[in-house]
Amino acid sequence: MDKIRRALLGQIAKLTAGAALVPLSSLASAGINDQPPRREGDPSKRYAMLIDLRACIGCQACTVSCHIENEAPLGSFRTIVSQYEVEHEETGDIATFMLPRLCNHCDNPPCVPVCPVEATFQRQDGIVVVDNDVCVGCAYCVQACPYDARFINEHTQTADKCTFCAHRLDVGLLPACVESCVGGARIIGDLNDPDSQISRMMKEHYEDLMVLKPEMGTSPHVFYLGMEERFMSRPQAKPAIWDVRTQEGEEIGYEFDGH
Amino acid sequence: MDKNRRNFLKGAAAAGGAATFAAGYYDPLEKMAKGLVNGTAGKQTNDRLHANSLAPEYSVDPTTGEVKLNPDQRIAFTVCYGCTTKCGVRVRIDKEQDKVLRVSGNPYHPLSSDEHLDEDTPVMDAFRQMSNFKDQGQLNRSTACARGNAAMAQLTSNQRVLTCLKRVGPRGSNQWESVPFEQLLDEIVEGGDLFGEGEVEGLRAIRDLETPLDPENPEYGPKANQLMVMEATDYGRSALLKRFAFNAFGTRNYGHHGAYCGLAFRMGSGAVMNDLAKNAHVKPDFANTKFALFIGTAPSQAGNPFKRQGRLLAQARTTGDLEYVVVDPALTAAASHAAGERNNWISILPGTDPALTMGLMRWMLENDGYAKDYLAIPGNAAAKAAGEKGHSNATHLVIDDDAHPRAGYFLRMSDIGRATEGAADDVPVVVDANGELASSEVASSAELFVERTVETGNGPVVVRSSLFKLRAEAQKYSIEEYADICGIDAEIIRRLAKKFASHGRQSAADAHGGMMSGAGFYASFSVNMLNVLAGSFNHKGGVAKGGGSFNGVGKGPRYDLADFPGKVGPKGIFLSRSRFPYEKSSEYKRKVASGQSPYPAEGPWRKLAPPILTEHLMSGLDGYPYRIKAMIGAMANPLYGQAGLTSVIEEKLKDPKNIGLFVAVDGFINETNRFADYIVPDSVMYEVWGFTGAWSGTLTKMTTACWPVVEPRQVKTAAGEPVSLDTFFIELGKKLSLPGFGDDVIAGADGTMHPLNRAEDFYLRAAANIAMTGKPLSAPSEEDIVAGGIEPLMDRIKSTVAEDEVGPVAHLYSRGGRFETMEKAYDGDKLGHAWSRPLCVYNEDVGTAIDSYSGKRLTGTPMYHPPRFWDGSLMREHFPENEWPLLAFSFKSNLMNSYAIGLERLRMIKPYNPVLINRKDAEKFGVQHGDTISIESPGGKVLALALVGDGVHEGAIGIEHGYGHRELGAAGHVIDGEERPGNPYLGAGVNINDLGFADPTRTDQVATWLENVSGASVRQGLPVRIRTV
Repeated sequence: MDKIRRALLGQIAKLTAGAALVPLSSLASAGINDQPPRREGDPSKRYAMLIDLRACIGCQACTVSCHIENEAPLGSFRTIVSQYEVEHEETGDIATFMLPRLCNHCDNPPCVPVCPVEATFQRQDGIVVVDNDVCVGCAYCVQACPYDARFINEHTQTADKCTFCAHRLDVGLLPACVESCVGGARIIGDLNDPDSQISRMMKEHYEDLMVLKPEMGTSPHVFYLGMEERFMSRPQAKPAIWDVRTQEGEEIGYEFDGH
Repeated sequence: MDKNRRNFLKGAAAAGGAATFAAGYYDPLEKMAKGLVNGTAGKQTNDRLHANSLAPEYSVDPTTGEVKLNPDQRIAFTVCYGCTTKCGVRVRIDKEQDKVLRVSGNPYHPLSSDEHLDEDTPVMDAFRQMSNFKDQGQLNRSTACARGNAAMAQLTSNQRVLTCLKRVGPRGSNQWESVPFEQLLDEIVEGGDLFGEGEVEGLRAIRDLETPLDPENPEYGPKANQLMVMEATDYGRSALLKRFAFNAFGTRNYGHHGAYCGLAFRMGSGAVMNDLAKNAHVKPDFANTKFALFIGTAPSQAGNPFKRQGRLLAQARTTGDLEYVVVDPALTAAASHAAGERNNWISILPGTDPALTMGLMRWMLENDGYAKDYLAIPGNAAAKAAGEKGHSNATHLVIDDDAHPRAGYFLRMSDIGRATEGAADDVPVVVDANGELASSEVASSAELFVERTVETGNGPVVVRSSLFKLRAEAQKYSIEEYADICGIDAEIIRRLAKKFASHGRQSAADAHGGMMSGAGFYASFSVNMLNVLAGSFNHKGGVAKGGGSFNGVGKGPRYDLADFPGKVGPKGIFLSRSRFPYEKSSEYKRKVASGQSPYPAEGPWRKLAPPILTEHLMSGLDGYPYRIKAMIGAMANPLYGQAGLTSVIEEKLKDPKNIGLFVAVDGFINETNRFADYIVPDSVMYEVWGFTGAWSGTLTKMTTACWPVVEPRQVKTAAGEPVSLDTFFIELGKKLSLPGFGDDVIAGADGTMHPLNRAEDFYLRAAANIAMTGKPLSAPSEEDIVAGGIEPLMDRIKSTVAEDEVGPVAHLYSRGGRFETMEKAYDGDKLGHAWSRPLCVYNEDVGTAIDSYSGKRLTGTPMYHPPRFWDGSLMREHFPENEWPLLAFSFKSNLMNSYAIGLERLRMIKPYNPVLINRKDAEKFGVQHGDTISIESPGGKVLALALVGDGVHEGAIGIEHGYGHRELGAAGHVIDGEERPGNPYLGAGVNINDLGFADPTRTDQVATWLENVSGASVRQGLPVRIRTV
């Protein structure tokens, strides 16, 4: 249980003041890696996502619609909602904490510079993508991502990850996860457009926004609303068990392992 | 360390999280080498950046908002069968492959949308509003849930039944051969030695409307009652099934899943709403409720309507004013940490809900915590004068003397000689403001708490007001005693009562299937009563019955789909001995005539309960009141759903001597229809016709239209129609020469007669009825027809309905149904659609119904009692705590349902269901997190994995429903000599119903434990013990 608690602990932190909206230039110089120039995409835009955790009901509609939309192999996920049983530090109340996870489309993405063939790159609209014609499936980027947001797609044998459904954004549609978000928690949009819903919400809730692992210096662009600061020190999360068994008690493991 | 504990997936989530977020990590060096040699390492993707993502269904110009459809795809609106909510969805279809690509919500549909669009909105405009154009699609969404997304895999599942199957081995041996539909029909109609096991009586012989099936007991009705028809639930096609069963074949016996789903809840609602005929229920007006108390339901985790509730709850706690408390033995997703103080989970011991609710009511009634002025309104006239949409019977006086011939009934004006019995002014009597007896329709306000002796035509009698009686019941125990029983601190009960009362008419109490305990009826009666005390019925921010549905299958404006020449009405009593007083039975009369005490009856007779499948099957196989000879089941699966049923009836069902013929209509082989003699392949979702209605709490009126948006994949009849439920009943009706099927059986309003030879003969005419109700829908534009995906449907519409109906019917299908506008939701501070019947603080039907065991009247108000068996003895008297220390309960999954296990995209997220055990219990029984344990009840034993934590009440064992299957793909079948192997992963986990057991006090037959008043299957609070293995 402690391992789980630590794992969660490591993933949540309050947004460092100013980090979300600092100029790209300063981030680049503060980065842990030298980022190659961004290419393709609309240079006038900077896509990001805000997830209002208060409105997330943990229903996994995002998980499944993304999986279908992007033909992910069974058992591999571009996005998923982790669900934790947590204890309120002061009241002792027990509640459920839902955490949707996906690629953070960082302003300083550690996955990009490690790519030996420059298959992974960041578009000018901030979306981190993989060129499947170039990717050799070496998985350096999979290892480099602090958010576990990448995997090697067993069908294509290339690195796979969330693209904010760039193929839909590019034609004026919503990403599958946003379109299907039952609670209305996921907000996608252009931070460069001050009138966009996400810009307005970022402004309204700026003080309360958090990102995952800010200490990594990645400047994530998936922002969470409704994560409390006290989570950072003492999240009371308990582990799950995926030791699938038959009704006779025979252990058969996870069905989609090794797919 | 226990070897069973080694496989924890480090870093996985507590529930609902994936096994692997970042899976598929291979050795980088090996991969790189491979890549360098072969160029790209894997299969070429469709697009270099977007890989194999689907092609967008349309595009929207970022400046003008102009919508351009993708010519390779079609979008159509229909219904989702992913669960019983039956949401309206928009289905993306690849035209060339006739393949469903993905599904999302129908923006016109209240069950899928934040604010559903007006029916007149052009479809292309609706698409723009669902897009990213000016953030519109996320400011007002229309969604499909995880299950709704995953469920499309049903269409292409390799477990589908695609041909007509006949068993070739003994029943349940999982061996089948394909037969032509016409042969199947011939065999089930004419009977014969069909399986080499002896003669089987065919349906033609069984359909005898003249001969009594039991001359000794003429009330049992004719032999035709020996066909039983059951279905899972109304997925939009029940009207056709019932037309066959009730009105053409003429059997009395029809049942659906309700009695093992949420019947105890529904009947408790029905008791409050004065509707024990249909058991109406309410849901909170989430958007305006200030405080909601959820007991035995967890909106956003599950419940109906799942998505609508989840969305409204999420928004109300985030940007609205809602605070809520979830009372549940298990922690679920309904209690959100991120939503902070807006919500709270309180755990409770399974089966003890009425202790909590009676405690709450006691506090409210003793501390002025109830809507005095509202409850004092005695009748319709006073309600109208007060600007109320309804009133309660809180002030009505109950004749409370067993010696009086009208004991348990309300004192009426005729009882005190002030009206003629049965006259319009023979209404209940109240005590008015002057302390005088008065007509409830004359007094403007009445005394709430009355106990006095009144002179009647039958002498002096004690009368008590309904509210007085309720308070007396609530005061039978102290709040401390209630607290001890339910495991919730007395102070918390008081605080909760105060909180609930403080929000007055914007408080809402809500329950659902968590009420299926051995005290379920009174639990639900009491939860719903909280709303009466708060005065929140019909109030904005209170609780809502909702707008209901358009009826297309009755005597509509264009076609009469209810009546037809030769229509028959079923006669006799139900197999379940319900809706019929035992006192009118021959058995009762025989006992009385022979000088015997008539009580107890041989088995339960439940006057208040609807026909219940929970008793039907057991009774029909056992012969009390009578045997069934044949059974037709449509998607029904009681053996998976009813606690203890498998162990009680499996062997009986296997024996053809007990039932000669079992025909199933289904797309899949489940735990019940594996025992069928024949399986008729059915269309699955997106291939079906039908009309589904609204769930309660949907504030506006609506009906969902479904049509086969993709071609059914199963076999066709010789005439070229896809074999399906509709085709089966139509052809069966014709083969049996029954009324209502074939040519000239549907009367048009103009007197012309129309045929019922194909499914669309029925459904398109029902569509015309709906589309032409009130102000007819306008004709859709050509653009709507294309964008709404109904081009393939147009020819069938044109060739079936009258010319002036074509436009309105096309409009209906182009929007996926008919939907009242959002504006109709409210009427000032009241709801637009009110429930106008008097609400029952005391229910006369309940208070005068006689328990068929004890011969005593039931309590007509909510009350507390511990879970009990048929003879009234307590469960704990038979299964004491020292032997059975824990109570097992089930809760609904937010992902899986009872028939979703075949969907691999759900299995990959939540492969099975470890059971919830409280940390203290784990310590007590030496169980560690991750241990394999055996859970044993008086009726069965299962193996499970222990998930130890604080997310479950001490003394309770929580089992998420939807796992532990034996069929639906878990078991292998041999079809036409070919082995279709089972997948063990579909059988993983535990089904609580395997822990169900027989009521030890039933002597008529071995019968599962059913709640006394309702006959609902008891699955909450099953006594169990655990040990590690």
